[in-house]
Amino acid sequence: MTLVAEPVAVDTYTPRLVRLTFTWVLTALVLFPVLAVLGFLMRVLQAGFLASVPPEWFYAVMTLHGLGMVGLWFVAGMAGISVLLARYVRPTLAVSWIAYGATLAGVLLLLAATLIGRLGVGWYFLYPLPFHSGGTWPGWATASLFAALAIMGVGWTLWAGDLLWAIARRYGLSEALGWQYLRGTGTPEVPPIIIIATVSFIGVLAGLVAAVVVLALVAFEQFTTGFTNDALLIKNLTFYFGHMLVNITMYFGVAMVYEIMPAYTAKPWKSNALVAASWNLVLFLVMFAYLHHLYMDFAQPEWLQVTGQLASYLISVPAAVVTIFSTLVLVYGSETKWKLPSLMLYLGVMGWAIGGVAAVIDSTVAVNSRFHNTLWVPAHFHTYYVMGVVLMILGAVFHLATELSRVSESLASTRAIVTTVGIGGYGFLLMFYLAGVAGVPRRYANYPVEAAQGIFYAKLSLIFIAVLLAGALIYIWETGRRCVRALAV
Amino acid sequence: MVGTPFLVFLVSALLIICVFAGVAVSTRQPRHVEYARAQRLRGLFFLSLAAILVVFLVLTLPRLPYPVEAATSPGRIVHAVGKQYAWSLTDGTGPTLANWDTAFSPSITVPANTQVEFRVTTLDVNHGFSLYAPDGHLVAQTQAMPGYMNRLRVTFDRPGTYTVLCLEFCGMSHHRMRGVVEVR
Repeated sequence: MTLVAEPVAVDTYTPRLVRLTFTWVLTALVLFPVLAVLGFLMRVLQAGFLASVPPEWFYAVMTLHGLGMVGLWFVAGMAGISVLLARYVRPTLAVSWIAYGATLAGVLLLLAATLIGRLGVGWYFLYPLPFHSGGTWPGWATASLFAALAIMGVGWTLWAGDLLWAIARRYGLSEALGWQYLRGTGTPEVPPIIIIATVSFIGVLAGLVAAVVVLALVAFEQFTTGFTNDALLIKNLTFYFGHMLVNITMYFGVAMVYEIMPAYTAKPWKSNALVAASWNLVLFLVMFAYLHHLYMDFAQPEWLQVTGQLASYLISVPAAVVTIFSTLVLVYGSETKWKLPSLMLYLGVMGWAIGGVAAVIDSTVAVNSRFHNTLWVPAHFHTYYVMGVVLMILGAVFHLATELSRVSESLASTRAIVTTVGIGGYGFLLMFYLAGVAGVPRRYANYPVEAAQGIFYAKLSLIFIAVLLAGALIYIWETGRRCVRALAV
Repeated sequence: MVGTPFLVFLVSALLIICVFAGVAVSTRQPRHVEYARAQRLRGLFFLSLAAILVVFLVLTLPRLPYPVEAATSPGRIVHAVGKQYAWSLTDGTGPTLANWDTAFSPSITVPANTQVEFRVTTLDVNHGFSLYAPDGHLVAQTQAMPGYMNRLRVTFDRPGTYTVLCLEFCGMSHHRMRGVVEVR
């Protein structure tokens, strides 16, 4: 088999861009294992070990793990996609540095709020919980949370806006969305990454607007008297924001698959009417799919609940029929070079598909009655996160790190990473699924007798997480040293 | 009820793994793939997926858990009020913040084979009102939201002690928040 590497323009990876990108990457490679170990610690406590640790520490760690991971993979996705976009457009590097600074500031504030202040509000800080600590965390911890969200929100809005502007400057918005393919002309040709990135940045900005509205409404209540927010409205806005952020992160990973996989399959992946139609449909449906988070809020109008199920079901169609199917067609019978990047990208698509099935099942209202807020929920989102978008992004990162450092891949390391991550990852997820089917609640510091099976599954999961972490550490070592080498080159 | 969705998931996951493995193995023997053939297969996949989704929509949309106001009146009404960190279950209007200590009741008895309507609300943050059967399976749930009352209708066909657990993260004793429904 021969590797036909996609030729990269000599001046695409300027020293400034390399320095920026690998600063993001190395930061991510430090934060990732720390946040992963926090997740491991949660399962340790749920398994009944370290019983002397007060439950408020579990919830503080849970908050940091959740907010940290969602934020981490969002910014890693943004950083990855922006360096790949550098092949086509010219974003402003200074804006990415501003976003980096804002992210670091946010991370520090969140670390203080949770590890010092013991803030335990969960990653989506559902109003009015941040203001009802019951004496667990001080007011400054709540203020730090909102300050962190505001600072990161500003930084990320500028970043997404700048990237969208860079795309629009070269292609124009309608062509960046691929509408010329829908009109049948097909010219100018835009690569799939441009269409997906445009859809994604519009989604990011829409989600961040919702976050701004939540922050404004919450601040208004705090600083005035006689006004109480509508809990249902805030819930809709909060889940709209959270759902959007997580889904867009997913799309960043998918964009990387479209852009990088062809380098390993020696077959191109071009835009066409199907790709354009699929991603424009996704842009529309992703605005409504968030409604599946509110099925158990019976106060929500029934027509919105039904809309949520319809949107959630429908959005699986472009994902499955276009992207996932096309990945398989691209690879089938090809001279694919199975290196770590192509393996991770390919397995990431597979994980996305599996997690997607679990998500669609849970997005059925009648099923959600039995699965909502059980461990089925972390089961499915960890599937398309850990075994989906994380594999995609890390595969893309390794591709870039290898390309720019010119350090060739070690077959032994690749085998070790794929084996441990595969077994450890799916094993740890299976424990969540089984516990969810048994009705074990999510977000419990420890389990009552009614959910005693949770302890058993938590104990088993520790073995799998240890295996997964071993694989992650090998990956981090291999990638980290290549990044450092690339910076020195 | 959870058995079927889990089986659907397991079968789907195994199918996906087999397909991805098979496609990966195919790269050992490179061959020409006809674009038209791939597109026909894509069309077939689309129709199959659409049919499956339509079937599940038709089967599940009529089974929404939301009570229909015009339908029969429930045999019994229970007021379930959540507050950090306990559930109060009463026949009459539930306790307020002012009289919580005196009006709070951690348990209630209801008849079997009678539709019971739980009127669920909260005095502080979002909670999740959930009913766990004596054998540990989750029977039903709804959210408890500040400023709202959600109606959850359940018919208990088996007597026993049902536990109310909190299914919406609500703070440091979220996992200890419980109530008891005795079904006789």
